[in-house]
This record gives sequence, structure tokens and C-alpha cells, in this order.
Amino acid sequence: MWKDRYKIGVERIDEQHRELFQRVEEFLKATNDPQRTWEDKIEKVKETMNFMGEYVHYHFDDEEKLQEELGYPNIEDHKKAHEKFKKGIEEYIEKLENENYSEELVQEFGGKIMTWLIMHVGDVDQKIGDYVTKEREDC
Amino acid sequence: MKAEYLNPFIEATNRVFQTMLNLEPEKKELKMEEDLITSNDANVVLGVTGDLQGTVIFGFPEEMTLKMVKEMSGMEMAEINSFVSSALGEVANIISGNAMTILHDENLSCDIVPPRIFIGEYKSFAVEEEQPLVLTLSTAMGEFDLNLFLKEKE
Repeated sequence: MWKDRYKIGVERIDEQHRELFQRVEEFLKATNDPQRTWEDKIEKVKETMNFMGEYVHYHFDDEEKLQEELGYPNIEDHKKAHEKFKKGIEEYIEKLENENYSEELVQEFGGKIMTWLIMHVGDVDQKIGDYVTKEREDC
Repeated sequence: MKAEYLNPFIEATNRVFQTMLNLEPEKKELKMEEDLITSNDANVVLGVTGDLQGTVIFGFPEEMTLKMVKEMSGMEMAEINSFVSSALGEVANIISGNAMTILHDENLSCDIVPPRIFIGEYKSFAVEEEQPLVLTLSTAMGEFDLNLFLKEKE
């Protein structure tokens, strides 16, 4: 899933992004693997939801800290995008639990988390990258 | 309906396709239709409410849908399953959300009703007297249609 064009040019953030892409990719491969039993898939879903619930907070906090250090101008808009992303994940964690990890809902979540992640890292986060590049050039 | 209402959707489609699929859609054909009918394999239908009201339909052939999901996920999918249709619906939802932001900058305040995905032909005849516009966009992964029917709030 990961592509080099998603890099923003700050190593620690790119590393965290790669980790998120890796986890989502593993989730998608597992949940779409016809060889795996549904019980086995559910284990992977639970593992991913636990990871996502925590790691997204850690990553977004770190990214916001970086933005503060840089004096990044669009920090408030970016924080709103992070809040929306976190809320989306939290809603699915709850829904999946309530609906006993139905296949339909798991697949729906897979489609959404993949799209959200690519769009956030490939679009919204690129603006941090552009800002960092510009600051480096101005120095 | 005014053809200018297409522009925010074209701009948003270009941006999202560039980011998500590394594709640059090109305008191929613009038509006016009698009814909102799409014969594409996968259709994402979104409602618009607010200063503009109506329906947007993104219609994709199956082959293109599977290529898009392969580009995003790295996985070869054999058919449009729930994962594929959810991803497609979310791409259309993000495009439409971005189009709403552009409209907002033009002082038109609108919201999107979450997408519904129809596999196979979709028909809606509740289009009153005005005619919907259908724009065909061409990409390296195939051609798809953007059906738009929007009218100003009375």
C-alpha cells in the first residue's frame, strides 16, 4: 500500500505513516484472504482495532507536536482533520463490538480506513512536507 | 441546471484522483440526459442538501473499479465485494466533500448525504422538468461518468 510519494520528508513521521500503512495492509490482506477462516480473521480485526485505537493517538499527538515546533500555520485545521479521523475509528471500534464483528461491517471498515489513510497522508499531511521544504530552502 | 455547478466536482475529482490513484482525469464528453440513469457496473449515489439540492452519481465500470482498488490497496480483487464498494463509496464521498468546500468558498452552503452504492443499473425518474448533466471523464484506468443534477433552493 505504501508509496514513496506519500513521504513528507520528516523521517520520524514518515516512519509512523509507514507503520500505519503496513498495519492497514495486513488487515486488508487478512480479511480478504479466502484461505482464512472467519474466526481467524476476527482475531486480526480485533488486533488491528486495538492497535489503531492507540497508535493513531500517539501518531497524531506527535505530528501536532512537530507542527507546533515548526510554527506550522494551519495547525488548527489539521487538528480538526485528526479529530475527525480519530472519531471515525472510535465509532467503528464501538460498532464492530456491538455488531459482533459482522463480515459486512469489517469489509466496510476496511474500505474506509484505507481511503482515509491514503487521503490524509497523501493530501493533508503533504502540506506539512511542503512547509518543511520551504522553511529549509529559506534558511 | 447550470453547467457551472459541475466545476467544483471536476476540480475535487482531479485532486482526489491525483492523490489517491496518481491519475489525471480528462474531460471526454458532456451530455444532457432525460433522466438520472446510469448503466455503469458500480454507482455511488450521493444527495446534496442546502443552497443547492439534488443528486450526484459517480458511475464506474467494474474493471476500472477493481484497478482503482488495486492501486490503493495493492491487492488484486476478483469482484466488487463489500470492501471494494466501501472504498469506492468513500472515494466519491471525499470528492463530494471537497466539492462542498469549494462551493462554500463561492458562498454556497451545502451538505452531502452519505453515499449509497448500487451495483448494476441505477435509475431515478424523480427529476422534474430540468435535465441532469453527464460528464464522461477518461483516465489511464478507464472511463467513468459523473452525473449531476443540482438546482437552487427555492
